[in-house]
Amino acid sequence: MIQTIRLAGELDLSRKRELRDAFALSSDARAVLLDLSEVLYADSTALTELLRFCAMAQTANAPIAIVIAAPQFLRLVQYAGLATAFKIFHERGEALRYLSERTGN
Amino acid sequence: MPSRIHAPLIGSLAFLAVVIGVLVVGGLWVQSTVTSSFREAESIGTARLLIEDVLRRQLDEETGVRGYAVDRRAALLQPYYEARAALPATMRRATGVLENLSLQSAPAALEDAAATNRRWLQQVAFPLLNSRAARPALQFRGKKLVDRVRADIASIETSLAGRESRGRRRAQQAIAWVDLFAIGAISAFLAAVLLFAVQQYRLGLRLEEERTKAEEQRRRSAEDRAAYVAEKRIADTLQEAFVQNVLPSPAMLRLGAAYLPASEEAKVGGDWYDAIELPGDRVLLAIGDVTGHGIEAAVTMNRTRQLLITCALIDPSPGPVLERVNNELMRNESPMVTAIAALVDSRDCAFAYASAGHPPAVLLEPGKRARFLEVGSLPLGVLPNAGYQTHRVRSMPGALLVLYTDGAIEHSRDVVQGEELLLAAIESAAHAAHSDLAAAICSRVFADRQAADDVAILTLRFADGARGSAPTFARGSQMTVAGR
Repeated sequence: MIQTIRLAGELDLSRKRELRDAFALSSDARAVLLDLSEVLYADSTALTELLRFCAMAQTANAPIAIVIAAPQFLRLVQYAGLATAFKIFHERGEALRYLSERTGN
Repeated sequence: MPSRIHAPLIGSLAFLAVVIGVLVVGGLWVQSTVTSSFREAESIGTARLLIEDVLRRQLDEETGVRGYAVDRRAALLQPYYEARAALPATMRRATGVLENLSLQSAPAALEDAAATNRRWLQQVAFPLLNSRAARPALQFRGKKLVDRVRADIASIETSLAGRESRGRRRAQQAIAWVDLFAIGAISAFLAAVLLFAVQQYRLGLRLEEERTKAEEQRRRSAEDRAAYVAEKRIADTLQEAFVQNVLPSPAMLRLGAAYLPASEEAKVGGDWYDAIELPGDRVLLAIGDVTGHGIEAAVTMNRTRQLLITCALIDPSPGPVLERVNNELMRNESPMVTAIAALVDSRDCAFAYASAGHPPAVLLEPGKRARFLEVGSLPLGVLPNAGYQTHRVRSMPGALLVLYTDGAIEHSRDVVQGEELLLAAIESAAHAAHSDLAAAICSRVFADRQAADDVAILTLRFADGARGSAPTFARGSQMTVAGR
């Protein structure tokens, strides 16, 4: 099963609880699609949650694909080194294709 | 809060007013019912007297005529004449009264009695008075007519009696309601008093609860404030230990640094920088930022600083340094840390660096525009055994390397705009040939805005080949961002 997490807007401290809830790896997830195409900003708290979640998925051997569209948000995740450690796509279709190949569906 | 205190009283009074209104309307209804019953009883009495009078007059007529028929004495006709004279008026009055009582069959019965009386006069009384004989047949006829009048009167009396008993029952019922009203009024009054008492009690409880809550809140905020002040003092002390950091002055290099605390006190966090001289004319630069604020951030910052220095003493190669620090941090639960470690070789103007989730360093070389260097991998404290690549850069005399923390570009949520502003500030400060470049960059970036987060800036200048003369940088009125 491909677990899909979708977030939008500006991710900051005020949405910490929502982020905690969103970034929970499902036990039957064989791959994770992180759709952040409508995210414009993330503060360090949100980035921490995001990175910890990606690290958790990687430790669990679940391939992860991240969709990012906003250039200013892409810049932030590039700083955070996310682009070197995980696959980042500009649109959802590519991300899904990548995950399908990886999970052999 | 006077309105809230009066609320129970107003509620009770409103309830009482409604009850009193109902009682007044009910009382008026009882009064009018009883009064009309009395008035009706009076009319019924009058009607009875008149009816009896009609019957008596009819009898007077009949006995007069009958007596005269027996012995022909004129004196015996006296009552007959009186009755005959009075009867029409009595009839009229009786009819009026009965019609006022609006009894259904009674006026018709009286009409019938009057008609029968007239028939009796014409068919029996006048022939008998004018005849000399006894005429028994006529007398029998007269008896039948008189019986009919009596039956009429009896039926009127029956309907009067019916009306009378109905009226009495209605009056009794109305009076019975008075008892109910009295009981209702007393209960309503008691209920209103009870309602008032209960609401007053509950209001009291609520006010008490609010007072307790407010006190609790005051106490807690005082405690929070005290805890906050204590934590702030500790965090400030830890942060100051770093701010007082004195940079080394290695040959062929000029180091500079600036630290700008967040405009908001509570946000003082874990930004730091370090510069350590190593054997072989090498200098290790480090800059970093611990996510979060307060004691935990300050403690993690100091721990990471010590780890970095210790690891650099084993092997100063930036990638392996960050890898070791990361693995040390991963052994314990720790906040995320972003950092850049750079190993500078002052003799051949070259440096190597590795970045862990940190905003990219800026390089400004003489005759060129300022540009961002390549970014690195994940922050420290996220992924166990994360790898960090070492990037090598060969630069030139007079080049300026600027390391900074995210506060320098994240003054708004648009980091792209923040980057452009920083590049412009670096170029401008370099062109102005400031002796304290870090402070000049800082004051340019925050000339017309406040620092929302801490800002640390570390600058390194390779000595100019021309010895003493200021290096020349490309000048441009329009800012462009290189390296992207």
